[in-house]
Amino acid sequence: MTTLLLVLIIVLAVCTVTGPDLLHGVIAMSAISLLSALLFFILQAPDVAITEAAVGAGVSTVIFVWALRHTSRRDDEGKD
Amino acid sequence: MKARIDFRSILALVAILAVLLPILATDTPWPTEPRDYLAEHAEDETGAKNIVSAIYLGYRVFDTMGETIVLLVAVLGTIGILTKVESLVGDTQQTIGTVSAFSLSAEKRRSNRLRTHLLEVVTGKVGPIVLLFGFYVMLYGHLSPGGGFQGGVIIASGIVFLALGNQRGETSHLSNSEKLVHIETIAFLLLVIVSSSGLITGSPFFGNPLDHTAVPVGYIVVLNAVIGLKVGTSMGFLCIAMMGGTD
Amino acid sequence: MVDRLLLLILFLIGFLTIVAKRNMIKKIFGLNIINAAVVILFVLEGSRIGMDAPISNGEPQQFVDPLPQALMLTAIVIGVCITALSLALAVHLYRIGGTFDIDKVKERLHDGL
Repeated sequence: MTTLLLVLIIVLAVCTVTGPDLLHGVIAMSAISLLSALLFFILQAPDVAITEAAVGAGVSTVIFVWALRHTSRRDDEGKD
Repeated sequence: MKARIDFRSILALVAILAVLLPILATDTPWPTEPRDYLAEHAEDETGAKNIVSAIYLGYRVFDTMGETIVLLVAVLGTIGILTKVESLVGDTQQTIGTVSAFSLSAEKRRSNRLRTHLLEVVTGKVGPIVLLFGFYVMLYGHLSPGGGFQGGVIIASGIVFLALGNQRGETSHLSNSEKLVHIETIAFLLLVIVSSSGLITGSPFFGNPLDHTAVPVGYIVVLNAVIGLKVGTSMGFLCIAMMGGTD
Repeated sequence: MVDRLLLLILFLIGFLTIVAKRNMIKKIFGLNIINAAVVILFVLEGSRIGMDAPISNGEPQQFVDPLPQALMLTAIVIGVCITALSLALAVHLYRIGGTFDIDKVKERLHDGL
């Protein structure tokens, strides 16, 4: 079960860093936090699971969305 | 990824691989002595049933104080850089275009298209429930999973809900930036006072003043409450300041 | 053993993102991925020696090692502090340079404003 969750986390991490839209990357980071919180619960670490869920899916996503709202959302690296 | 993969990045990758691979590929057994000692003595020495709380509030409480200071410095730095950004943009026409549509005060909002009735009603009603849950998690940290940081972050989410959920312009008192800053400074002062209270009975700094009385766990409860208030209000203030402030 | 090698792959993905991508927000994503990989590694290693969660209830039991969990609580909170500060700096650089691309911002700073 932990191996399956780790493979899913790796797939989401690759999806985060290779994508032209930064908002999709932010949602994928939030999904990585959710899967890690589930992984911590399976590994019998409830305190770490509560902290990771509240911090990763709450505060971290809010500040990323704020940063993208005040600036641009596209990653124009492959062009020019 | 074809942007900057050149010789130096490949060399750095190989160097990291050469260091980490022998550590992670071998199968050394994890030592069991800390777990055995803590299983026998943690509940008697600190009084908390949650062993993780007993560690970071009893045995290694200096780390917790350092972490609180790091949080304070990070929030200070972020707010400082934010105000510099706003002053850089200035009062030009660009200011109207950059403040987001989610801005909390009704004058600064560019359009009300994204502030739907659904958002305001749901967050306004769910906000107090989340705050209550945050207080529960914070104060029961010594008996069940939870504690200061966990409860504090949930309280921060509750404060963000209350700030988003104001209908017809009436704002909740908890989303006022002045009050949040006051609560945070009082909580930090209380943290210093509570941690030095051990000096009265002869224990060292961060020692437990209730150690030989009936309830040595009261010290952990008070520390949990103070840390939870500080973390919650400081992260709530950070999120509200990023969304545009309420003044 | 397989889990630890998967975590090594996750660490290397984060590291390559910091080095090879030019967008500043992608570099901050890489920092967060490295943080997540190290936290999962410690909690995974500590969970090998027991079967229950570390909440004592009076009777002797074999629970997991609580020491890595207490240290990783601090690590998670410090990780989010670092993300907040670096995002504020990235937004500041965007205001000065006009783009998130770090090479272009460096050129514009060298040419003078």
